[in-house]
Amino acid sequence: MNLIGISINHRTSPVGLREALHLSDNEIADLFPLLKDEVLKDGFVLSTCNRTEIFGFPASPEVSHNHLHNTLLKFKPVDEIAENHFQRFISYDSIEHIFRVASGLDSMMLGDGQILGQAKKAYHLSEDMGFAGSLLKKICDVAIKVGKRAISETAIGDGAVTISYAAVQLVEKIFSNLDTKKTLVIGAGETGELAVAHLKNKGAKDVCVVNRTLKRAEGLAAKHGLEVLEFGSFRERLHEFDIIISATSSDTPIVFYDDMAKAIKKRSGNPICITDIAIPRDFDNKVSKIPNVFYNDIDSLNIIVEQNIEKRRNEIPKVEKIIAEELENFHHWYNVLKVVPTIKQLRNYFEELRRDELKKIKNRIIEEDYDKVDDMTRRIMGRLLHYPTMKLRELAENDVETQESVNYSLILKDLYKLDDRQQDEF
Amino acid sequence: MLQAISILNILMPILYLTTFLAYATDFFNNKINLANSKRIFLLITLFTHFGYLIMRVVEFDHAPITNKFELFTLLASTISFAYFVLELLTDVRGTGLFIIFFSLLFQISSSLFIENIFEVKDILRNPLLGIHVVSALIGHSGITLSAVYGVLFLLLYKRIKSHNYGVIFNKLPNLEILEKMSFYSVVIGYLLFTVSILIGTLWLPSAFPNFNPYDPKIISTVVIWVVYTAGIGAKLIFKWYGKKVIVFSLIGFAVVIISMVSTIIIASSFHQFQ
Repeated sequence: MNLIGISINHRTSPVGLREALHLSDNEIADLFPLLKDEVLKDGFVLSTCNRTEIFGFPASPEVSHNHLHNTLLKFKPVDEIAENHFQRFISYDSIEHIFRVASGLDSMMLGDGQILGQAKKAYHLSEDMGFAGSLLKKICDVAIKVGKRAISETAIGDGAVTISYAAVQLVEKIFSNLDTKKTLVIGAGETGELAVAHLKNKGAKDVCVVNRTLKRAEGLAAKHGLEVLEFGSFRERLHEFDIIISATSSDTPIVFYDDMAKAIKKRSGNPICITDIAIPRDFDNKVSKIPNVFYNDIDSLNIIVEQNIEKRRNEIPKVEKIIAEELENFHHWYNVLKVVPTIKQLRNYFEELRRDELKKIKNRIIEEDYDKVDDMTRRIMGRLLHYPTMKLRELAENDVETQESVNYSLILKDLYKLDDRQQDEF
Repeated sequence: MLQAISILNILMPILYLTTFLAYATDFFNNKINLANSKRIFLLITLFTHFGYLIMRVVEFDHAPITNKFELFTLLASTISFAYFVLELLTDVRGTGLFIIFFSLLFQISSSLFIENIFEVKDILRNPLLGIHVVSALIGHSGITLSAVYGVLFLLLYKRIKSHNYGVIFNKLPNLEILEKMSFYSVVIGYLLFTVSILIGTLWLPSAFPNFNPYDPKIISTVVIWVVYTAGIGAKLIFKWYGKKVIVFSLIGFAVVIISMVSTIIIASSFHQFQ
């Protein structure tokens, strides 16, 4: 197995270098012609915000990892990059790495849910560009299977591991249907926008936004289809909302105890979930003492995040077990693949002999007897070849170094002169 | 058949304990997933329990309602059955542990003290009494479920307020669902309780020569009914949410327990048949 690969990722280089080497889909498509034929027979390129990787089968025995570096850096020159910013992989180590990436084990955010989709996209792009051979396709298929198994059979992707997802998880612990709840987002900055995106993703429909600068709120509202509230009067309307997410850059609190006490009274005690992710905080933290007001600041959300990261860490052995299983299956498949041509040659040789002998008697016996002989010789041939075929497959499946199966193949080829016959046919 | 009944009498608490442990393992242990198998345990327990009850009816020729230990085993089955239906309808599987615990308690006390009674008063074979008792029992099951969900609501409420995100936070359904389950259980319990009271009011005076309207059990039943009427009414009219309604449900349940203890065990009543 001469699969080789290089990877620049969050463990080998700072974010600046990773960003500099990030490749868009169009850039990857442009890189393929440079790799194709001279460097790699076939391969794929995976590029996300945390990694850029090239894997493939060398076009010639002389091709090494250096050729991959050089081609990549020639295509996208980055001065500060050195060799030690890349990890190098060869043979089964390459496959194990590809499986670890697909399962999210190698991600900066352990169990990252996006990486499997990004890996799939990378494999499909290579396929679409005619740059994926059958062996590479098999490796990619198994990698996708590993990723899917990791998600379905373990909890590696469970629980929120970012503040904004933790906020949504908390909201979901209070309310059951976000689509029937009314949400207010205070602050139209980047964090506010991220919160809106997460909420919309979870089914929130009725979302309003308020911002000190009205124009900014209107911009966000236009982008996501939100209603805009006026900053001067939003405190009088707090009771209308089930969920409030606040992320302004204000230096002082903008909502006080009395505002929330009035709001909860007007709601007859119906709960309000407040997520205050601003630093310094936007809400007077005494509001947490009001019954049915669930107030969470960044510290309390961090508790959820830390707990979930710990839970994901506990799932690593399970995912590694899946990777080991799939690597073993792949290994068996690959070894059998190597003895398949010998089995095929052997069977062809016997079939050829059988047909020759049948041809000799064809005109000497009646058709009914001919059919019987044909059937009988086919069965004899099947029985004669059954054990050699099974033995060869068995050796290939169980033989770690594959040497024994190779020896048997060579003996068979030598005994029956299979290679000579094949050359004669050509 | 008597021998089979005796064996099942020992087996029932064991089955409830096994089901309870399956639910507890699934709740507390993240590494073992019993989400589906615990439901199968419950189903087997319920089937066996219904078989056990039917065998008792056939063998002793009366419904198992003649004394408190027969009622306890009936109550154990109705609580678990009500929970099973609720779990199927809502697919909320994280609360069974707390409900089946009550079935386990009732079944243990029943299995320990239940007797094989062949001779009972004729009145105990009357179908109206059967409906009166069964509706009261299902009513009690609903009220018990409501109380359990109420306690779980308060637990989760406290955990979220104090930012304690442990096993209770992770495993229980959200507050809105717990509140709804508590409320739906209490409404069903209340309706059946009302049916039981109506039958009792109309039929009991003619059936029992020693009927006494000031019997402690009747007075406590009326108090329970008033508490639940007030709670449900407040929720519907004033759109109360959460804690307030839950507190009403828990007060009602406390009155039920006090009433059961005081009238069945301490006070004498025409409601006792032995």
